[in-house]
Amino acid sequence: MSIESLLQVYCYVALITIIAVSLYGIVRGHSLTKKLIALTIFGDTANALMIYVGYRFGEEVFVPVIPTLNPSPEDIAWFISAAVDPVPQCLVITAIVINMAITMFLAFLIIQAYRLYGTVAVKKIARLRG
Amino acid sequence: MKGRDVAIGMAAALLLLVVVVAVLLGGTAYTPSREIRPLAKFYLEYCINPFNKDWWAASPEAVTSMLWDYRGIDTYYETSVFFLAIISGVALFRIVEVKLGAEGKREEKGFGLSLIVKTSTRIVFPLILIVSVSVAFHGHLTPGGGFQAGSILAVSPLLLIAAFSRHYLENRLRLSEDKCLTLRSIGLILIVLVIALPLIAGAVALMQNQPKPWSPTSPFSAYVGPLWISGSLFFLNVAEFLAVGAGFTLLFLLLSISEEDFRRILGL
Repeated sequence: MSIESLLQVYCYVALITIIAVSLYGIVRGHSLTKKLIALTIFGDTANALMIYVGYRFGEEVFVPVIPTLNPSPEDIAWFISAAVDPVPQCLVITAIVINMAITMFLAFLIIQAYRLYGTVAVKKIARLRG
Repeated sequence: MKGRDVAIGMAAALLLLVVVVAVLLGGTAYTPSREIRPLAKFYLEYCINPFNKDWWAASPEAVTSMLWDYRGIDTYYETSVFFLAIISGVALFRIVEVKLGAEGKREEKGFGLSLIVKTSTRIVFPLILIVSVSVAFHGHLTPGGGFQAGSILAVSPLLLIAAFSRHYLENRLRLSEDKCLTLRSIGLILIVLVIALPLIAGAVALMQNQPKPWSPTSPFSAYVGPLWISGSLFFLNVAEFLAVGAGFTLLFLLLSISEEDFRRILGL
């Protein structure tokens, strides 16, 4: 087994483990705040997984930005051979911002729930009547 | 309860086993290996390619050229999701907007953190603003762009709220929710204008940046005089910068309404 496939297995297992733990937190968390924290961990891990999927092994790995405005054909050929995959990065840029907006919206809802009910425990809110 | 815990542990172990087997059998295809996908190769080859201008986006940054040119409509939808998230936040706090008017405007001396924190915040605040503007204006040339610059911009009012107070922002800097909403709407309207401009100018596609074989006219040129602006990418980045920065500032302002004001308004 090569060092690359070992690294692959290690990274996937680490990221999937974090996702599993955060999913457990979302489902079984007792307070809404802790559920929100688990949700942000879930979103960030998903983004990290996406970025990891776009990485590439090689002697020379470069960001997907070509450092000249007048590239020669050799420059472009080198760029294609060295740059990492830009597609996941493109998805993650927007995902991070939207994640943050949705997190803030949920934080608003939780603050409002605390103001109205005086608690953020899910079971206590479920027991409220009227 | 015990059976449930065992079931959860078994499920987690099974999940990990499936992942390991899938990775070892090559179920993840290209990820990460020495080669990248053909789609990524296309974007890397044509994002700035003076020898084949049929497909180029005129931007050396592959991510931005994809974000606002090749997959532009996608990003437009994501901006809409962001817009909805902010609108729902504002809607939740609508009652406060009306009633805070007189009560929230009071001047309060002696608010905020210590003199050291305030002085260092005064030094850092303009630096953050400059960095955010530079990231937005170079978004088509260097790593960065409207989303990142907007997020950096939104940090500066958050820092002021923490070090001084919300009243400092409102009374001294005259930054209100209405102004943030206006700025954000200006950014969104600019985005829509840049998207619709190619249609008005005679192109056949929305959001067209550079001329394409099936639509040879485009209102955007790769450079203006000595400045390389990558067609529409520069304008879209600046508009998104306004929309994201003002939108997050608005959310931070709403989040920082003091608890006493809230309890008084809600009558709790």
